[in-house]
Amino acid sequence: MDILLGIAVLLPLAAAFLAFLFPANKPKAIRALAMFATGVSLLITLVLFANFNRHESGYQFVHGISWLPTYGCSLKFGVDGISMTLLLLVGFVSFCGAFVSSEIHEREKEYYILFLALTSGISGTFCTLDLFFFYFFYEMAVIPMYLLIGVWGSLPPGKHGRTKEYATMKLTLYLTAGAVLALIGLLAIYSISGTTDIEKLQHNWVATNTQMWVFPCLLFGFGFLASMWPFHTWSPLGYAAAPTAASMMHAGVLKKLGAYGIIRLALPLLPQGARHWANLLAILACFNILYAGWVALTQKDWKFVIGYSSVSHMGYIFLGIAALNVVGVSGAVLLMFAHGIMAALTFGLIGFFYHQTHNRFVPDLSGLARKIPFIGVCMVMAVMASSGLPGFANFVSELMVFLGAWHQGSTLFRVATICAVWGIVVTATYLLWAVRMSFFGPFDEKWSMLKDAVTFKQKFPYALLLAVLLTVGFYPRLLTDIIKQSVATFVPADSEPSIAATPSAPDLAKVQE
Amino acid sequence: MTGFIGNAWIWNLYAVQLECLLAIWGILILLSDAFAPTSNRRTIGYMTAGFVAAALLYSFFLVPLQGSLFNGMYRLDTFALYFKRLFLLALTMVLVMAAEFSPRIESGVAEFYALLMFCAVGMLLIASVNDFILLFVALELVTITFYVLASYLRRQIPSLEAGTKYLILGALSSGFTVYGIAYIFGTTGTTNFDTLSRHLSALGAQPPLAFTFGMLLVLTGLGFKIASVPFQIWAPDVYQGAPTPVTAFLAVGSKAAGFALLLRVLFTGLMPVQYIWGPLLLVLAGATLLYGNLGAIPQHNIKRLLGYSSIGHAGYMLMGIAAGNALGVSAVLFYLGQYAFTNLCAFLAIIAVTAVTGSDEIASFSGLGKRSPILGLALFLSMMSLAGVPPLSGFFGKFQLFAAVIRRAQTDGHYYVLAVIGAVAVVISLYFYLGVGRAIYMQEAEDPSPIPVSKPMRLALYVCMVAMIGLGIYQLPLVNASIMAAKVFGLH
Repeated sequence: MDILLGIAVLLPLAAAFLAFLFPANKPKAIRALAMFATGVSLLITLVLFANFNRHESGYQFVHGISWLPTYGCSLKFGVDGISMTLLLLVGFVSFCGAFVSSEIHEREKEYYILFLALTSGISGTFCTLDLFFFYFFYEMAVIPMYLLIGVWGSLPPGKHGRTKEYATMKLTLYLTAGAVLALIGLLAIYSISGTTDIEKLQHNWVATNTQMWVFPCLLFGFGFLASMWPFHTWSPLGYAAAPTAASMMHAGVLKKLGAYGIIRLALPLLPQGARHWANLLAILACFNILYAGWVALTQKDWKFVIGYSSVSHMGYIFLGIAALNVVGVSGAVLLMFAHGIMAALTFGLIGFFYHQTHNRFVPDLSGLARKIPFIGVCMVMAVMASSGLPGFANFVSELMVFLGAWHQGSTLFRVATICAVWGIVVTATYLLWAVRMSFFGPFDEKWSMLKDAVTFKQKFPYALLLAVLLTVGFYPRLLTDIIKQSVATFVPADSEPSIAATPSAPDLAKVQE
Repeated sequence: MTGFIGNAWIWNLYAVQLECLLAIWGILILLSDAFAPTSNRRTIGYMTAGFVAAALLYSFFLVPLQGSLFNGMYRLDTFALYFKRLFLLALTMVLVMAAEFSPRIESGVAEFYALLMFCAVGMLLIASVNDFILLFVALELVTITFYVLASYLRRQIPSLEAGTKYLILGALSSGFTVYGIAYIFGTTGTTNFDTLSRHLSALGAQPPLAFTFGMLLVLTGLGFKIASVPFQIWAPDVYQGAPTPVTAFLAVGSKAAGFALLLRVLFTGLMPVQYIWGPLLLVLAGATLLYGNLGAIPQHNIKRLLGYSSIGHAGYMLMGIAAGNALGVSAVLFYLGQYAFTNLCAFLAIIAVTAVTGSDEIASFSGLGKRSPILGLALFLSMMSLAGVPPLSGFFGKFQLFAAVIRRAQTDGHYYVLAVIGAVAVVISLYFYLGVGRAIYMQEAEDPSPIPVSKPMRLALYVCMVAMIGLGIYQLPLVNASIMAAKVFGLH
């Protein structure tokens, strides 16, 4: 059973090497290989999830081999509640991403090789228990994106006045800048502790005054990838230029690597540093939520709307992390999952109609729902999920974040919580506007050539993602139980809100339903 | 001062057999050209490459010897063997390039190969240097052959310019070196590294000013070889103008030779005065990193770009030397090993492309990914490896260097500044390396005709690519070799 985890992570990479040997004029075979690899990875992940011991907070399925004994690092995989949740996210999004990649008709071989390498890089980062390999996979996930956007992407001209080459270069440079900043922090931790084993590192090796400067290295370093304000500007532009599957992977999963880095490494390894910097993080989170939301209000391109919306949602995740209590951090993890699925769904849907209309300018689109009802319905549901309607996983997780932040207790956090709740109203405003404009209203004859998703193959990826959102929305304990257990191992108990006084978030969610 | 084996001539012969083999083969090439003028210029090149490859394999059967030979001048330790293998590897690949390049050489193709061989003999000697006299002789053997090689396309102005520039600056730096050696000998009475180290340790107090002056002059000469700031000015011009195989040998062989000397001199002879050169190299490393990487940004000629990039990489490796710990030295050795594969891969691809397009401009690499998938992939991977992207070998090289600097920073906070400069340099370098990647994959070629790749070339490209990816994922073999080689200095 333990070795299955390694297989789930490395299978896409192995498939990428295999695809390299395929002749380039057999795109169907390569595509089938990519579907197979991501599909089997998803199946294995589901099997692991079913066998996951829900009463154990530590790492499970731990399996590793010694890699570089001179540095004491080993290729070691293992998951706890947090990484199990996110591994599920990678599984779903990458499988659906491979599904919608059928729109790619040029240089398929290279495309799928990069897509598979990206998938392995991301799931590797989520599952590895070794500092060196964490960074290895983290960086490995950044570069395929450069080519995916630069070669297969498209960026319609607009007010931004940028090309896709600009967008992809900006994205890569920002993410690498963040990565090397984090590397300095990670190497400092390594040279102090002398080990790269994440399990061993949790025994608090780093002196308090060192934590004070190592923590911001990790916080901002990983913050770049998580599009923390003011390092977020690469993100909407990059998504707008990316091909559908790449936007799905990036907004859905890759971005979560940043937040995961903070939760997995910065919080447990540097607890005093975290407490010291939490207030700043909360303030930045508010900027993320309100500033990005406000910018999204003025956007006219669908992908920019969703791009800024995803920056705005990362703010809730930061707020949950900053709360430093079990409910808040667990809410952040669940929101990473929920938002990942939702963002992938939205970008997938945009890709579906953009592939036919070659236009995603909201005022140009009108009444699309008459011609493509299935896509319209899915989009409405995705938007509702994004606005935090009960019944979707996003609702539960956002509620947990708010509760966590409120119970943190200080005035700053209470104000931040109020800002964040207000952010939901902003989100609903621009998303509902965009949906109403493009999917409802008078039907424009120039879109009469649009074709809806009719076959099972076309509908499946969207239906799957929606089903996941609803399942977790109606039964959040499926994930929250395991997340909370693992979060409780490193989040200090003293800032825990008194459970007796308030109902826990999942319970509240059930009341709402 | 010499071990018991120093007196046995048979051991001396054993120690220099690789040098002898190469020198003899070089003379044979010259003779064959005189007696049997061959119409096929490539065959000699491929034969020579095969011979050197065989010598490379043979070198793995050599055992390192304890103590020093030739009256303390020469060493055959793990460090020397590590570098000898590196030079033989570089020479093999450069000979393949030279064979591909030979149609563009008007006359004296056999001499071209022979000069490469003699140059490599000098490098092999450099790997074993244990005395300032041998250091100077070996260094001159390498540098003087490079003067000729750089200006080998004698009807092309850029090539002549490259040769002249290299000659003038090289002669100047050689002058500095020998002047510095004289000062060191004058103040300490020895040219042998072991004796020098003992002498300096016994001195206890600060060495005389004249000695420090001499040491700085020697470092000037070595700084010229590795193209470190402030002796880097020649690199972009010479890289751009020299025939491409020569550029490759400069970038891989000559640079590694410079680092071999630097490591040997600093960590044996001058180790007791580390407190003098440590801070100096700290500053130079930072300056070199910034100069090389910032200077590369506006370049549109790929050889010139690689010239600036080679300055930048000298900066990375100086980080490891400045760190001055065992991890730093082994990191530099690892870096040089993987840098050889990476750079050779880039130059192999460049030679194959320019043979068809006749232009070194980055724009002429547009659409390479479609014109020749293998060349496009090779060039792209080597650029990414130079930028330090996993899973390629350049990533692990940089990772180790940063680890060494940060380890040192635990005792001396200034090194954090160096680490930050290195981090900034990584981001800058990614920008211009990706610029080449953009030309390869994102821009359309004006002339989409496919580019042919010969069989030996293809083989060499595969070897480099497999090494780049292999060492990036499974680093252990080269890490162990570099740690073994670094052990000769007995650092912590």
